[in-house]
Amino acid sequence: MLADAWLIALKDLKLELRSRVAINQVLPFALLVLVLFAFALDPDRGLLQKATPGLYWIAVLFSGLLAMQRSFAVESTDGVTDALRLSGLAPSGIYLGKTLSVAVQLVVLELLLGVGVAVLYGTPLAGWLLLLATIGVATAAIATAGTLFGAVASGLRVRETLLPLLLLPVLAPVLIGATRAFEAALNGTPSEGWPWVGLMSVFSVMYVVAGIFGFGPLMEES
Amino acid sequence: MSSIVFAQATGTWPYVAASWIFVFGGMGAYALVTVIRGRRLSQKVSPEKRRWS
Amino acid sequence: MITESAVTAKISENGPTSTGSRATLILGIVTVIALGVLVLFGLILSPADQKQGDAVRIMYVHVPSATLSYIGCLLAGVGSAVFLWRKSQWWDLVAYAGAEVAALFTAFTLVTGMFWGRPTWGVFWVWDARLTSSAMLMLLLLGYLAVRRLEADYSVRAKRAAIVGLLLVPNVFIVRQSVQWWRTLHQTATLQLGDTKLDGLMLFSLFTGFVATALAFVWMVIHRFRVAWLEEQVDTEGLDAALVERRAEGVAST
Repeated sequence: MLADAWLIALKDLKLELRSRVAINQVLPFALLVLVLFAFALDPDRGLLQKATPGLYWIAVLFSGLLAMQRSFAVESTDGVTDALRLSGLAPSGIYLGKTLSVAVQLVVLELLLGVGVAVLYGTPLAGWLLLLATIGVATAAIATAGTLFGAVASGLRVRETLLPLLLLPVLAPVLIGATRAFEAALNGTPSEGWPWVGLMSVFSVMYVVAGIFGFGPLMEES
Repeated sequence: MSSIVFAQATGTWPYVAASWIFVFGGMGAYALVTVIRGRRLSQKVSPEKRRWS
Repeated sequence: MITESAVTAKISENGPTSTGSRATLILGIVTVIALGVLVLFGLILSPADQKQGDAVRIMYVHVPSATLSYIGCLLAGVGSAVFLWRKSQWWDLVAYAGAEVAALFTAFTLVTGMFWGRPTWGVFWVWDARLTSSAMLMLLLLGYLAVRRLEADYSVRAKRAAIVGLLLVPNVFIVRQSVQWWRTLHQTATLQLGDTKLDGLMLFSLFTGFVATALAFVWMVIHRFRVAWLEEQVDTEGLDAALVERRAEGVAST
């Protein structure tokens, strides 16, 4: 299963590197969101600094959605789904591999957005340990849930509209948790942030289990 | 004193009425739509497949 | 060659053409009586609360609706789980019916809650943990129902809906937990409900509310289930009929 996962993750990441869609479209979109927030909120009154954690995670979610939709869009053409099914790879392995590749892309996105808010919004970064732990578990949560719901929506005519409707309410706890944990870290009260890291870990574990068992039925149909 | 009570009573009753009308109306409308859909669909299905009738 | 209208006429000769049965007819009558009793006690016989005034009457429909919306979710979760395990269409349709009726009752909960909040708190909406998690529950249910209404093969639709339905209950739990922490950590506005003491008649009204709406809930789930069942029958029968027709055409042309 893990070997299969590795294979799929490498394949997807290689595809992303070659097609450059993530670099040429998703990353600019994320930066665009940051700039749009500055237009919406007056940058001179310190609103941006105060709202940085929330804006940051909203930007991650929205640009992450694009990355997740791509992760399944690359499979839907030319009967690749059938080829995957015939390949004999374990469905759970396919799920973990896709999750891993989405997670890697999200981490790159998050690091760049972090630089973006530090530079563009002038937010002083503090509480590094909690910041990094939050990025870790929140990425795991978004990738595990996103890959599972991405598979639910894949191959359908309405997938572009269905995925946000399914995924965003489910990710609400992650948005709340990651935002509060970031706030705690930036305000210098990291002890308030760790329970949220715990909650997001529980969330990720739940979705990994659901994905490992749920991907089989999702793959064998259509 | 009694005027305050009266104001409170008239202030609250519209909300009570709206809530109850919404709930009862909602249940009624949903029941009606479900029954109509059921009747329309049963026309197309042979009786042995309607195991409850 | 049998025309369509002839088939319909033949079918309607045999037995009733509805989702009703003897049992649901009796259940329906009992439900209507119970709802009548609820109106009598909830709106007329029970007294107004000392603190909330007449707004307390909203609680007689609000609290049972909230409970039933959670029961409907549970039904959807259990139905989805058994469907994935046993591949039984019966349970899949139970999940569908449960989720749809749960969405209806969640809407009742939200709207009556807002109508209660306006006279009591002065605003329709506050970012209270309960209100927020009910709103999230509604959104999760709408997502599930969107999957149910996909234009795809039954097997595709049912499997995908079952995965979403299975995660409904854990999602509700985790959303509730996070929203509770979120509000308690922030402690901006603590709104007191006012310690309401329910006396005999008020308690009885609330109890009647639970019984009447629960009966209505069961009636709706049964009928919704039968409608969903009929829909699937029409789909498969339509396919069969089309196949027969095509074969007949093939024979005629040769």
